[in-house]
Amino acid sequence: MDVSAIIEAEAAKHSAIAVEKDSAVEIDAGLLTITDPNPIDSQSYSADKETYLTELAREVFPDGPLALLPKPTTQLPRAKPLPKPKPPTKWEQFSAAKGISKKIKDRKLWDEERQEWVNRWGVDGKNKEKEEQWIHELPDNADDDFNPAAAARAERKKRVAKNEKQKLANMARAQTSEQRERKAEIERTLLTTKSSTASMGKFDKKLEGEPKVRGVKRKFAPNEIPSEQEKKTSLAILSKLDSGTAKVGKKPKGDHASGAEGDGAVLNVRKALRHASGGRGGAALGRELGRNNSSRGRAGARGGRRGSSSRGKGRGKSSS
Amino acid sequence: MRPLTEEEQAAVFSKLANYIGKNIVHLVDRNDEAYCFRLHRDRVYYVSESSMRLAISVARPNLVSLGTCFGKFSKSGKFKLHITALDYLAQYAKYKVWVKPNGEMPFLYGNHVVKAHLGRITEDTPEHQGVVVYSMRDIPLGFGVTARSTVDTRKLDPTAILVYRQADAGEYLRDEDTLF
Repeated sequence: MDVSAIIEAEAAKHSAIAVEKDSAVEIDAGLLTITDPNPIDSQSYSADKETYLTELAREVFPDGPLALLPKPTTQLPRAKPLPKPKPPTKWEQFSAAKGISKKIKDRKLWDEERQEWVNRWGVDGKNKEKEEQWIHELPDNADDDFNPAAAARAERKKRVAKNEKQKLANMARAQTSEQRERKAEIERTLLTTKSSTASMGKFDKKLEGEPKVRGVKRKFAPNEIPSEQEKKTSLAILSKLDSGTAKVGKKPKGDHASGAEGDGAVLNVRKALRHASGGRGGAALGRELGRNNSSRGRAGARGGRRGSSSRGKGRGKSSS
Repeated sequence: MRPLTEEEQAAVFSKLANYIGKNIVHLVDRNDEAYCFRLHRDRVYYVSESSMRLAISVARPNLVSLGTCFGKFSKSGKFKLHITALDYLAQYAKYKVWVKPNGEMPFLYGNHVVKAHLGRITEDTPEHQGVVVYSMRDIPLGFGVTARSTVDTRKLDPTAILVYRQADAGEYLRDEDTLF
């Protein structure tokens, strides 16, 4: 069997995609990228950029040596933490406690009279049926100016408002303490900035519907406290005062320095140390003294320092 | 009318402690009847619990006074003892000063107690100590703060001030309108 024709055809296919370049292209397998470092022919490039670039670019042959990469197997880690489950609303808590299963209502309802599906709410909704009907039943005790359509509408609006309120309450309950703190801080900052003008915010333009700023009201204990309890709190304050005076008892100013050392010491150790070490502290002085003891030769030279330390003591005494 | 807050109570007690020391306990913890401190229009009243409960039913603008006025809080939050507290201070005073009969009137007119008028003084009274001033017949006249300790008084000349006046019974006439 002569396969030379087949081999030739195969070779021709490869030669069609084989490219002669002055320097080889740079292959970055990691990025699946090939960069061509060869300089471009500036003449033809400036003459007609588009055609030059398309000539340079390699055409992909429909049956060229294309590699079909398998699907990547490495799982990239999740960038964000998993969302936390939403805290249950008040109704969800209640229904869980009572064992009420959730019923999903359809958006549409069957209207018997009109013989068609109508919206439960929204445009032409079933919940507006009562206020839009052309004839109304009046209760016996109705006032003269009772408007049944308006009453029905007010009733519906009230339900909507109640739901909105409950929703907000649920949202507030679902807030974490962190969120609550942040919100409080933002509100505090806002209040501060509001009152940070020359007029303490008095003449600033108010936004529509901006709530009036109310300060924190002082709260006092009720007038009628059980006398036993009142006595107990008073005695507690008294004992606290007693212990407080024992701790931070006033001392005459004259002997303050010696008092700081306790035990009625005449020497102000802190001051003497500072003077002896030349302001470098007791640790440095200790190290130096240790070195002195080990090397006798320098002990005489350091003797002067010790003399100065004794002078420091003397000064501490006189100042106290 | 309201009970004192903790800070206010501490201010009152620390001021009282200058004069009667630890005897404040006897004011708080009484055997006969429960007494309490109440604040009304910046004034501190020491009042029995029963009359305090009666005063609750009086509207705030109509309530002029109740119990014994001990003193008042200044606008800056400092507590100042009034002469009306003298009864209790005299009862429990730790340190006392007696003035001679010729010194009574000058003291009641609002002057300090000078050494010439000093009749007796409690032994070992320290400097800057709250004292109650009595006449020689043991009638409390007012209270003040010592300028010198008992030991130091001996060397002083007769015109030197020994007790700085804080309040005297003459205020009942002089400050009649604002006292209670």
